[in-house]
Amino acid sequence: MSYLIIGSSSGLGRELAYTFAKNHNNLILVSRDERDLIPIKSDIEQKFGVKVKIIELDFTSTEDIEKKILLQKEMLLNLEGVMFPIGLMFEKDDLRLGDKEVSKILYANYLSIGYTIENLKHSYSDKNFLIVGFGSVSGLLGRNLNNYYSAAKRSLESHFESLTFDNSKNKLRIHFYTLGYLDTNLAFGKKLSLPKGNVVSLANIVYKNKNKKIVKKYFPFYWSIIALILKLTPLTIILKFKKLLKN
Amino acid sequence: METEKKKLFSFDRNFSAIVNFTKPAKFKELEKISKSEENFINVGSNLSYSPLSFSEKSISISLNGFNRILNFDLKQKEITVEAGITLAELLNFTLNNNLWIPQLPGYPFITLGGAIASNAHGKSCTIDGTIRHSVKSMRIFHKKNGWLNLSENENKDIFELTLGGLGLTGTIVNVTLSLQTITSTNFLTKKYEVLSLSECIKMVKQKSKNKKSFIYSWNMANNLSNLGKGIVFENTMSDDEKNINFNIPTKRKIFLKPFFSTWNKISIAVANKIFLQLHNLSKNIKKEDFIDVIFPYYGKESYFNFFGKSGFIESQLLIPDNNIDEFLEEFKYLFKQHAPVITLLSFKNMSGEHSLLRFEDNMICMTLDYVNNKKNKLFMSEIDKLCVKYNILPSIIKDSRLAKSTVEKCYKNIGEFKEKIKKYDNDRSYKSVMSEKLGI
Repeated sequence: MSYLIIGSSSGLGRELAYTFAKNHNNLILVSRDERDLIPIKSDIEQKFGVKVKIIELDFTSTEDIEKKILLQKEMLLNLEGVMFPIGLMFEKDDLRLGDKEVSKILYANYLSIGYTIENLKHSYSDKNFLIVGFGSVSGLLGRNLNNYYSAAKRSLESHFESLTFDNSKNKLRIHFYTLGYLDTNLAFGKKLSLPKGNVVSLANIVYKNKNKKIVKKYFPFYWSIIALILKLTPLTIILKFKKLLKN
Repeated sequence: METEKKKLFSFDRNFSAIVNFTKPAKFKELEKISKSEENFINVGSNLSYSPLSFSEKSISISLNGFNRILNFDLKQKEITVEAGITLAELLNFTLNNNLWIPQLPGYPFITLGGAIASNAHGKSCTIDGTIRHSVKSMRIFHKKNGWLNLSENENKDIFELTLGGLGLTGTIVNVTLSLQTITSTNFLTKKYEVLSLSECIKMVKQKSKNKKSFIYSWNMANNLSNLGKGIVFENTMSDDEKNINFNIPTKRKIFLKPFFSTWNKISIAVANKIFLQLHNLSKNIKKEDFIDVIFPYYGKESYFNFFGKSGFIESQLLIPDNNIDEFLEEFKYLFKQHAPVITLLSFKNMSGEHSLLRFEDNMICMTLDYVNNKKNKLFMSEIDKLCVKYNILPSIIKDSRLAKSTVEKCYKNIGEFKEKIKKYDNDRSYKSVMSEKLGI
């Protein structure tokens, strides 16, 4: 039994790797820089005695995904699930962002995830299989920062909703978590008006929920209330409070 | 790579600064930050008594995400770990394989990188010397010199500079340690009463010859008549555990600090009396566990918190055998004149060879904790003069108050360190408050 974790070199991905390894699951860890995966592999193998395979790939490239993951049929034989704790951001992600960067953001945060799920079918059809996606509260509302990132995350959420509908009658388990800022490096140095979510707690929640058929949650929990308010409030009113939405 | 403004204090609370703090989680982030024009300094758990891990002019780099086990060879008794690992995390793995490194400073949340940069020692220093004896190799990252492998056979000069080099040669990222077999996490502790400083020194020296147990003392210093009265402890490791299964807590407890120091002549006298009475009432031989013996400050953090916001000053002195009697005579004389407020006095024997900035030698190690006040500082400045007079080595790691002139007179090899580090890094990219104070 093994789990594939895309984006596992730091933050939530790293924590998920430890949580699943602690519970005796083998892992396939994927990241852009192998140097960050090697220490995680050795540490986990030494501490928990599970097998860890590491793959360095560029998740914005479908060719790379095909070559290093999808065509590795033997590696995927005992796959129990796939998780996508991945996020690619650029500092100046506004409406004037260059085409190349936009493409990278869209692929890493949305299109490559959809592509991987679709093309992994041979590994999970007829199987009790887990797919976990992670959105962002930035996708709740388009703003004048993280434009393409939030658009990609909103699309991803929609994609997971479609997956849930499409697979409602089979054994596939589709989970989607919409995340606020976590206490990881992505939020390091940022002054936030709301408290950061604890990444260890989140990894434990993902693990505990792993056998549920459908999960759709906000983390930290208070974002579910904020999301509801934002969804019910007309955009004209929201614009009057835009200073509050800076973060 | 983001940095955040953070106020850092030295553990003795004599120095603080609002610094740019960063915590890379990936190798690329560590490399990226080095492209910044600014200076750097490494921060472990920021538990060093002196301000070694920050400066207003430097970005403090924390590697606490780099805390993983990279390789473990049970047969060779070797482990390679990342330098951000705490001693508790390291031991929780090695102890369960009946292995450890014995040169452990007294608090489990110190990082390995920090312990190496300060060439830490512990209660086993008579037998095992300082931590550098357990370091086989290291891999460091330096802003200008990039990635470097360091060992006896590779970049030896930088290897030597890094062991006890106060983090000034770059960021220690990986460390390979030679481990030793540990037979038990249980200790038998014997106590011997001593009535004076000279009796204590004699007992510590004599018992240390055994080289099988850890010898150290606790002495009273609340007034002249009590000076030196106390207990010599002898910890002997049992050999009753075939498979060690021991866990050290990995999370620190948080204690509130009172605004003012609650340590004064009266409270110290009362605390000393209670401590001594409790020991008199208890058995002369008792069983203690690993944490009690190796990490005596764990669970007793309140001792430091009682110094309040103004903190304390710790002094650690390595005193040559041939000068110890004269030194103690003059110490007593000054003690009578100044009546310093001392909360802790302790002796142990140390082994090693002093070089560069390293606090080690075959000498008696005397530790004193002072309440931070003018009177005590005046007394300490008189002791500084005795250090110069009697070739005593004061610890830079412990005593943040030490002046550049005193250190230059006592550390005969500081010039060699400065010269070598300048040759290695002409721009002197890594700087802390203490290194700037000492002109390194």
